[in-house]
Amino acid sequence: MNGEIETAAQTSADPAAKAELDKAFSDLYRTHLRDVYSYSYYRVGNHHDAEDLTEQAFLQAYRHFERARRESDGRPLRPWLIRIAHNLASNHHRDRSRRPQTPLENADPIAARHGTEAVAEGREELRAVIENLGHLPDDRREALIMRFALGMDNREIARALGRTDGATKVLIHRAIKQLQEEMDS
Amino acid sequence: MSADERPPKGVMTTDVERLLSDALRPIDPPQSLWSRFEETFAAVTQAAADELSDWADELTDSELSSLRDPRNWVRPVVAAAAGGVATGALVVLEVRRRSKRSNGGLKGLAGDLRSRI
Repeated sequence: MNGEIETAAQTSADPAAKAELDKAFSDLYRTHLRDVYSYSYYRVGNHHDAEDLTEQAFLQAYRHFERARRESDGRPLRPWLIRIAHNLASNHHRDRSRRPQTPLENADPIAARHGTEAVAEGREELRAVIENLGHLPDDRREALIMRFALGMDNREIARALGRTDGATKVLIHRAIKQLQEEMDS
Repeated sequence: MSADERPPKGVMTTDVERLLSDALRPIDPPQSLWSRFEETFAAVTQAAADELSDWADELTDSELSSLRDPRNWVRPVVAAAAGGVATGALVVLEVRRRSKRSNGGLKGLAGDLRSRI
């Protein structure tokens, strides 16, 4: 693992600076572990993969933490963390699509991806909304997860998805409208 | 559904936003993830600290060994010699220029006569 660790702390040979950086990172993950885990869970649909994804996201964040802090210019780092988790989840889905699918995964893909049984608790309406959420295009679904599961505002979602605030507002509006139409049909 | 029964434009029959808020609740990570992550992070920061220390040690060692290596002495010696030669040449030129000015010799005398004639 040592060879892979390329922290910015290594570039500054000051042990006090490194200790301060590690403390700041520790605060960051304590504050945002739940957000990254929730996002990962709604993207991959099971606790095991969500745990792995969350751990990978924070390890990747640690490698670039000093630079991210410098470049964020005091802005919150949550969108940056979610963007890392977002990219890792996309890689995860791409890797899985290359592997042969098991019959179990084919049996109920929505339930497998979003944990419908646990979340909806048998309530038909919630089950329906989760199912329809699975039919949305990826970017719309991800924006809704950020908005409703993590409580992110448009600006945060825009930064996490690498879009403008205006484009994000339109994306969320269309996502809700599409979901509404599917629920009403 | 008749026109009267239909909801007015802009009014949705299903409150999707409320449903989404209920369905997409934040999920607490299992306790095992907290401890797992604490362990991983401790290992990573320790590894980074070790690498930092090794890197600093390597740098010091390499600097010392390069100072001790006679092959690295050639460049400073050549640079000092070149600087000495250049300085000497400048001194010689300056001396010659001054001696010409103070002592014109036959050429200076001939030039003086030519100007008088």
